[in-house]
Amino acid sequence: MSLLDRYIHEVGRFLPRKKRGSIQAELRSSVIDTLEGRFGPEPDQDQVAEILLEFGKPRDVAASYHPRGQYLVGPGLYPLFQMVAWIVVAAVLGAQLLAFGVSAFIAGEPFSALETLASLVSSVPAALGWLLITFMILQYFDAKPSLEEDPWDPKSLPELNPEQELKKGELILGLVGGILILVLLTLFPQWVGFITAPGGKFYPNPVILDYLVLIQISLLATILMNIYLLWKGSWTFLTRVIKLGLDAFGVVILAFLIQGHNAWLVANGSSGVMVISTIESNNWELVGMHAFRLAFVVAFIVTVIEIFATIYRMVRSKMASDVSAKDFVLKVE
Amino acid sequence: MENTQSEQYQKLTQELRRGILVLAALSQLEEEKYGYSLISSLAEQGLDIEQGTLYPLLRRLEEQGLLKSEWNTEGSRPRRYYQISSKGSQVLGNLTEEWRNLTNVMEKLLAGISS
Repeated sequence: MSLLDRYIHEVGRFLPRKKRGSIQAELRSSVIDTLEGRFGPEPDQDQVAEILLEFGKPRDVAASYHPRGQYLVGPGLYPLFQMVAWIVVAAVLGAQLLAFGVSAFIAGEPFSALETLASLVSSVPAALGWLLITFMILQYFDAKPSLEEDPWDPKSLPELNPEQELKKGELILGLVGGILILVLLTLFPQWVGFITAPGGKFYPNPVILDYLVLIQISLLATILMNIYLLWKGSWTFLTRVIKLGLDAFGVVILAFLIQGHNAWLVANGSSGVMVISTIESNNWELVGMHAFRLAFVVAFIVTVIEIFATIYRMVRSKMASDVSAKDFVLKVE
Repeated sequence: MENTQSEQYQKLTQELRRGILVLAALSQLEEEKYGYSLISSLAEQGLDIEQGTLYPLLRRLEEQGLLKSEWNTEGSRPRRYYQISSKGSQVLGNLTEEWRNLTNVMEKLLAGISS
């Protein structure tokens, strides 16, 4: 096989199947034209090599026929890919550790550090692999993030308003925490409860199971909102209103849960708050339900405070944008 | 250091030239030409284009509808001939006008600079 045949074949290896034949034929014809133009009808192998060197490495020649470049994940999708990748890594690590925690401390299965490590080493690359495949498909179809407005309007740039700035770290932490709890509630609902000691008797919490669907809906909505916020990069009036709505929904669910625990405790002869005698009675089921109720009361108070804080931020944000507009008018004047 | 500067200069020159290749190619394809004949024609008039740059460019322009092509098997071996399309002619007219404006502006901008 001649040097030219080998070169054309090698270029073809890196070309898309659909265009391969046509590009190879044209390339061959062009190389021969160049050879004839420079060295006459019967060039020797050194002269062929000289011309092929001018055309370039087979891989580079093939790459020049890809106008959009050869990306698995191109520059347009990469920022989103990077952000989702970190969230996936955190969620997978958390879910794995949670699963091991559940099996070791609740089911009482023996804990192997080596097995845990091996599982982490295989699951993280697998999750990232699936993510990459998803983005490769998006790249192949030249998908653009749908929230990117096209055509872009400079007036849509967010106002310089510190009240609208996101605390990304907090948001990602909340996102990962939300995903973990959702995974736990969805995959291991039977393990929602309390335990006296590692491997000891386990008491499921019957009240939480009653409201499981509502809790899952609330968590999922919050996760979706956090992803949307990460994408947008700042708070807007609308996202604050949505957050208010979700918090209010959370408060209602927490109220149901507290009410449910009250009813359960009354039915089991332990109304009122948890006292020392309850703990001393060694009735762990009662102690556990008291502890759950206390945790929900704390969450209820925190969420109510959060609602007021959100309203306060909305007012401050409105005032700040009014002030910056006035500053602008003053500067212009 | 000198090598780096020379590489930098080469890259800048390449970028500068890359912008005019479409206009140069379209301007020479009123009559149909095959790749090598186009390269020769441009080189004769003082514009050297690398083979690896021109061939993919021709295909891209064809995909955009600015050129049309066909294989001609009448000569000693098959060759792919390219010719400007009607859409390409319109684009060539617009690009030419743009180029003349640009050269006017650049001439004014560079008037005081000694080479």
